[in-house]
Amino acid sequence: MQEIALKGFGEVVKTVTFRVKRYSPENADMPRYMEYKVPVQRGMTILDGILYIKEHLDHSLSARYSCRMGICGSCGMIINGKEKLACQTQILELGKDLIKVDPMGNYEIVKDLVPDLSKLFRNHQKVKPYVLREEESPTSEYLQTPEQREEYAMFTDCILCGMCLSACPTNAADELYLGPQALAQGFRYISDNRDLGFEERLNVLDSKHGVWRCHFSGACSEVCPKGVDPALGIQLLRQLLTENIFVKHKQKGTTRGPERKSASGVS
Amino acid sequence: MTIENKKGWISWFNPFKYGTDRWMYALHRLTGIVLGVYLMFHVVETSRILEGAVTWNSLMVWLDYPFGPHFGPLILSAVLLAAVYHALNGLRLTIVENGLMLPKPYRPEYPYKPRSLRGLNNFLKIFLGFFMIAISAVGIIYIFTGAIL
Ligand code: SF4
Ligand code: FES
Repeated sequence: MQEIALKGFGEVVKTVTFRVKRYSPENADMPRYMEYKVPVQRGMTILDGILYIKEHLDHSLSARYSCRMGICGSCGMIINGKEKLACQTQILELGKDLIKVDPMGNYEIVKDLVPDLSKLFRNHQKVKPYVLREEESPTSEYLQTPEQREEYAMFTDCILCGMCLSACPTNAADELYLGPQALAQGFRYISDNRDLGFEERLNVLDSKHGVWRCHFSGACSEVCPKGVDPALGIQLLRQLLTENIFVKHKQKGTTRGPERKSASGVS
Repeated sequence: MTIENKKGWISWFNPFKYGTDRWMYALHRLTGIVLGVYLMFHVVETSRILEGAVTWNSLMVWLDYPFGPHFGPLILSAVLLAAVYHALNGLRLTIVENGLMLPKPYRPEYPYKPRSLRGLNNFLKIFLGFFMIAISAVGIIYIFTGAIL
């Protein structure tokens, strides 16, 4: 059985050319493209291709990766003109003999394919991505039904890869724009029934560079590797803010479960 | 030392590979700019009426045939198309950008086709697309023949 499954595995199917954008801070040379010939086996991803180059052809090539299975969100890059996770993109599925690999746009480049994601994290922090309550140290849990969880669950799938910010045309021209990732997370926490931070987040979300800057090009949702659909989050947030003009949005905050003896919640 | 890698406003007009909504966004920007430029010329042009009938009439004749025959009507048709597209797509955006006709949060399932860009949003695109074709057809026939259906 195993032999059948492995049939053809390890054979070189074809050779493709990787055209990789290189930038090195030490030599201060401007970004330029370099080409590498990579023999492709079945099942090889773009990340495998890059690692092949690094091992056999050019040790100086840099890329960021960790999990190799689409979970950590480190390996976002522009592959043949579209943002993709390198570890989730099969070379053979692309069906091209020339593969152009660029670092993500709208971020500064640290080296080669490594973007500086601090802007993403900064914006994420601005929307206070945690449940906001008055209590400093609650002694029981906040209750939530499975249906209430469904109201925001899809946005919790975000792995902070930052590809939506790279694809977003608004972000391409507005340095201060919060970006789809942060806005979708803003919506995620506001629509969480345990949260009470609507007012507190309002000055960031409902601002000149906040939610109204989005023009719904849908590029963020198109590239999101987890199907988070940040564009949907933004439009729903906008709906909420528009309604808020007429009828003040009230977060009730959920009821609390039974008191726990110890603060850690283990009784 | 890091290096700047902004895509910049020029990337507004690179809708390739990002789907229909992204194409419509690029067109919306483009038609917006076209209409803005047209409006400025339009204001300057119509203000010339203050210079009297002779100037006005010769200007009108020139505008009909600026660079040879049919060029005037062609420009006008392009402006009409831009205006109709911009108006109707603007209508669609007003609806969807307020969260109307969009799905509720759902469970993403592989291969993760975003539903906000499909479903009723697509229906709106097709619906308004028909309107656009109808209005433009009537308008262009009018521009070239002077006949209203
Ligand atoms: S919303 Fe999607 S594309 Fe954006 S950071 Fe999260 S996982 Fe990545
Ligand atoms: S390496 Fe973790 S997502 Fe690609």
